[in-house]
Amino acid sequence: MNTSRRLWAVRIALAVIAIAALIPVGYLLSLSLRPPDDVLNSRLWPTEWTLTNFTKVFDTIALGTMLRNSWVIAVGAALLAVVIATPAAYFTARRYRGERLLTALLASYCAPPIVAIIPLFFLLRYAGLTNNLLGLVVVNGIANVPVAVWLLDGFVRRIPVEIEEAAVIDGLSVVGAFRKAVLPLLWPGVVAALLVVFFLSYNDFLFAVYLAVTKESQTLTVGLSLFQGDRNVQFGQQAAAGLLGIAPVYVLALAAQRYLVGGLATGATK
Amino acid sequence: MSAVELVGITKSYGDNAVVDDVSLSLPDGSLTVLVGPSGCGKSTTLRIVAGLESADSGTVHIGDRDVTAATPRQRDVAMVFQNYALYPQLSVAGNIAFPLRNAGVAKDVAAQRAREAAERVGITKLLDRKPRQLSGGQQQRVAIARALVRTPSVFLFDEPLSNLDAKLRVELRSEIRRLQQELGITALYVTHDQEEAMTIADQLVVLNAGRIEQRGTPHDLYRTPANTFVAGFLGSPTANLVSGRIDGGSFTADGIRWDVTGPDQAAVTVAVRPEDVLLRPDAGGAGRFELVELLGPRYVFIIAIGEQRLTAVVEDAEVARWARPPVPGDAVEVTVRPDRLHLFDEGSGTRLPAAKP
Repeated sequence: MNTSRRLWAVRIALAVIAIAALIPVGYLLSLSLRPPDDVLNSRLWPTEWTLTNFTKVFDTIALGTMLRNSWVIAVGAALLAVVIATPAAYFTARRYRGERLLTALLASYCAPPIVAIIPLFFLLRYAGLTNNLLGLVVVNGIANVPVAVWLLDGFVRRIPVEIEEAAVIDGLSVVGAFRKAVLPLLWPGVVAALLVVFFLSYNDFLFAVYLAVTKESQTLTVGLSLFQGDRNVQFGQQAAAGLLGIAPVYVLALAAQRYLVGGLATGATK
Repeated sequence: MSAVELVGITKSYGDNAVVDDVSLSLPDGSLTVLVGPSGCGKSTTLRIVAGLESADSGTVHIGDRDVTAATPRQRDVAMVFQNYALYPQLSVAGNIAFPLRNAGVAKDVAAQRAREAAERVGITKLLDRKPRQLSGGQQQRVAIARALVRTPSVFLFDEPLSNLDAKLRVELRSEIRRLQQELGITALYVTHDQEEAMTIADQLVVLNAGRIEQRGTPHDLYRTPANTFVAGFLGSPTANLVSGRIDGGSFTADGIRWDVTGPDQAAVTVAVRPEDVLLRPDAGGAGRFELVELLGPRYVFIIAIGEQRLTAVVEDAEVARWARPPVPGDAVEVTVRPDRLHLFDEGSGTRLPAAKP
């Protein structure tokens, strides 16, 4: 009796938290379904329902291009960060004094990114990568390497070192052992790191707003900000654009939940 | 010919010498066991042979090759780990074939040899399973099959049975011994369990604090331990170590007076194994039963005598001849088999030459 009552208490608490977390998204949805006149009446529900915001927003801003840019940058940055971070995490987790590198990486991540904007701008301009998707891939990718290393470090540490030692004794080089014995067990971590860097890069506003200002290179976050400051603010369209931006990402996060949690190494050793 | 030769191996972590000038040769086809308490350097020594650690000084030879600077893959050794270290993403067959595939053996040949190795350890039914679907004992059989599949120059076992339950340990250790003898492959085996060490070793090496205390056959080490450490480490229950003096053919310590066959010595430590303690219940005896345990065919007694506590093991058949089974508090007369005493210098702990009776 007691335990089932506690279980229900926990369930109710979780439901409340989930609803609280979803309220902003729900309100965004509610806003996106109203005509402009209905937006500022501060009601929770639309008095009039419409889907025109979802079509008109494509005329107001280049939403298609922006979505594409955001996806290209986020996917590219995720791949770049993880390609660099995977061997780096192996080093930080396994090698003598590797944790020093991890500390240094995390320390650099603590600095506010805006301090790097001016040097980054000039570096990218020198490389011809301002207003360029590749430029933002490189910046977001490298900027998020510390997070990816930190995440992967934990995954590497959970793999018993004896598996690598067995692989080396079974005739592989250190690199071969990493590739054939460690990497197959590291996939859940790699996927998790890809997702995290994807989300961080997809949500980036700072780098994008400074380093890519042309219409062709703007990202979704920058596009959404452009609604503000017009004389006539299109809240309904902004909400529609926001929903279109986050929906696929939410779906991705739900689909990949397992990788954000799971681990394959269970049962490898006692 | 010796298959493996270690000369002057030393390894330190910081100021802490883990392995201290260890020289050792493993005769071809023999099984050598390194045994000692935890931290004695036995695993480090094994890992230096494997090439997983490098020695600070000293050399390692395998056969006629100097492999001191060689990587593990160049050494042609196979190793069985305490935690099995199977590749979880591969099937049992894939695990066993792994070393062969790395050596460039064709897939079908490797699969066939993996099957033969699995047969040797009795796991052919498990070939398609994944390691996580196996019990600990089955996993260790897979690891053993993986080690023997390519007939290496040396087998290395690092506490292979320590994660298994007692019954399985006894079963697998005789199986490891059988396989090693069948294949005639030189093996180095590390364990902290002296009973395991005694039962399977051709050559037994007792390590303590990074140094070799003694090596030889299990029989030699048990019968003529070189020092108090070896005397106290081998045997279960452990030997009684009693300090006292020898004067005119008798050993005296607090409450103890035993006839011995040794020269006079002011400070001596006597080691007497529990089975060499002779008991005779006697109301006038100096000892008292303190603990009485029946382990099936034999009794283990703890006897208090003066300040000493002595462990004695007596066959049940012997106890049956006594007036009644002893209970704690009963008086007992304690003597020892004089020819089975081990005498050591109390200061250095080294064995004193035995005088002929």
